[in-house]
Amino acid sequence: MTDPQIALMMLGIFILIIFLGFPIAFTLMALGVAFGYYAYFNPSRMWRSYDRAVEAGADNWELWHTWASGLFNNRIFDLFVNQTYSVMANEVLTAVPLFLFMGYIVERANIVDRLFSTIYIAARRLPGAMAVAALVTCALFATATGIVGAVVTLMGLLALPAMLKARYDTGFASGVICAGGTLGILIPPSIMLIVYAAASGVSIVQLYAAALLPGFLLAGLYLVYIIGRSLLQPSVAPKPRDDEVGDVPVARLILMVLTSFLPLAVLIMAVLGSILFGLATPTEAASAGALGGLALAAIYGALTWQRLREAVYLTMKTTAMVCWLFVGSWVFSSVFSYLGGEHLITEFVTGLDMSPLTFLIMAQLIIFLLGWPLEWSEIIIIFVPIFLPLLPLFGVDPLFFGILVALNLQTSFLTPPMAMSAYYLKGIAPPHVQLVEIFRGCMPYLAMVLLAMVVLYNVPGIVFWLPEMIYGS
Amino acid sequence: MINIVKFIDRLTGWFGRAFAWLILLMAFGMGYEVLVRYVFNAPTSWAFDMSYILYGTMFMVGGAYTLARNAHVRGDFLYRLWKPRTQARVELVLYFLFFFPGVLALVISGTKYAERSWRYMEVSVFSPAGVPVFQFKTMLVVAGVLLFIQGIAQVLRCILCIRTGEWPPTVEDVEELEDQLLKKAAAGELDKAQQIAHGRDDT
Repeated sequence: MTDPQIALMMLGIFILIIFLGFPIAFTLMALGVAFGYYAYFNPSRMWRSYDRAVEAGADNWELWHTWASGLFNNRIFDLFVNQTYSVMANEVLTAVPLFLFMGYIVERANIVDRLFSTIYIAARRLPGAMAVAALVTCALFATATGIVGAVVTLMGLLALPAMLKARYDTGFASGVICAGGTLGILIPPSIMLIVYAAASGVSIVQLYAAALLPGFLLAGLYLVYIIGRSLLQPSVAPKPRDDEVGDVPVARLILMVLTSFLPLAVLIMAVLGSILFGLATPTEAASAGALGGLALAAIYGALTWQRLREAVYLTMKTTAMVCWLFVGSWVFSSVFSYLGGEHLITEFVTGLDMSPLTFLIMAQLIIFLLGWPLEWSEIIIIFVPIFLPLLPLFGVDPLFFGILVALNLQTSFLTPPMAMSAYYLKGIAPPHVQLVEIFRGCMPYLAMVLLAMVVLYNVPGIVFWLPEMIYGS
Repeated sequence: MINIVKFIDRLTGWFGRAFAWLILLMAFGMGYEVLVRYVFNAPTSWAFDMSYILYGTMFMVGGAYTLARNAHVRGDFLYRLWKPRTQARVELVLYFLFFFPGVLALVISGTKYAERSWRYMEVSVFSPAGVPVFQFKTMLVVAGVLLFIQGIAQVLRCILCIRTGEWPPTVEDVEELEDQLLKKAAAGELDKAQQIAHGRDDT
């Protein structure tokens, strides 16, 4: 077998082990070390000190010792340690635990309830007001926390019963929450974009600037759909009777906005603004965000010892999960490309003679399909890097590609069979809410994600305008 | 056998939880840097080194803790359909093929790497502050050893599961909020979950 064929075998074994459900990070590490040992195997280097010891007439123990250390005299071990260390000292990934911590604190700050009722009252004259409020709350809260599951379950417990009580259509009400909660992985400061930046080498600051308008575009499309559907088909979102709305004086409404909507919005904008305008590195901004989150939780009287502990330990777990995946992936991929696997893929794809558009569609389709069984972390850290070396061949900007991927991965939370958002919602919804209805409610949002991707492809300015305006081209 | 598993879980759990608190140090340290840079116009020379040292130390030491809590990602779309005994049999084999070799390599090569660094008490090259990094490089070894020990516990878990037909319980210390809520809902305590969501659970 030639080396590139062995590289393909390595990839094949890896995919098989994923199917068997073994922790992916360690699978990658072990495969990288084993195949790397073969790739860097160098007998003369291995036996050098042993031969010297034999010539010097060393005793048996000494001989055994040099023989054993000869076994480990393989460049893969240096490579392994260096790759691991480069994850440990990665200046982009340092922002990950801080943003996670901020998210875990904000999600425990007793803030969603206030946020939802305030936005509902502010929006109560709009068609489908409760759905609009749910979407805006989801988007804002998901942006601040970045944890999809938490947003969907919390909103499923707060907004879903309220909407059902107001005789909203079950599918319509569920779809809003599922799709709104998922926005958190796209709208900056999202953790997924940091992970993409670390995996691709694209500047995180540029990525954040590039993702802002597409994020608003998608949220805007959702909003237009909700209001439009409520207007055209009032039965899905019946207009509340006047006595149901109640009358809230303007002064009180302003006070509610000041105490619930504003602090969170200011926190997000301060974090994002200081990153975009170069006042602070993403890591510094994230730590400021974490401190701000702590202050917010304290003000809302939610900063208990128990909650702080939870946030700290969960941050540890999730950080370790993401970063060990990086360790495994970097060891694996450097051995894979050393064996010529990457070159083989490049040659194969070049041989297909695709147009850039066909390539983009193919790549996004594969990522869409991977989103069914896998989560975004695995897709971004392990599979997206396979596409990255191909981008220059087709003249696709990795920044642009990253935004398309971020849009695309919205669908992985919403499409059956492994739609995390839908399952979370089903888990906490009243028993009469059927999973099928939730899926039906999610479908229009899939269409809108697709529409947003088509729009971005045709008007790439939506992605590039802001980064170019702030940082020049 | 279950006692060994419990002991190892406690050991790695202690390390994981203790080092998790570094996140607070990191948040306040970086916050301090931003403060002195803009308010007193006197940036620190150590903040950058501190940020990656704390972050790297955190996740390396937390690897074993995360493994014990079964929180490393796995493609479990087939796995979850199997009976516990089948899961344990497959996993037992895979631990020996795909866990111990990599972790062992980490311990051995990490030791060499850290040794070299200790020999000249290596400091960071990013700043004149001379922040030491030899202790940071030692984390490669610490992480490897903790993972190896946790691996033994995981293997024992598999053996216990093959014997009894069900997984021995894992120690749960903290859960994601969504999991807490889902569990409450599944146990028929939807009202309690709702109270948590409304933020009225502890008032």
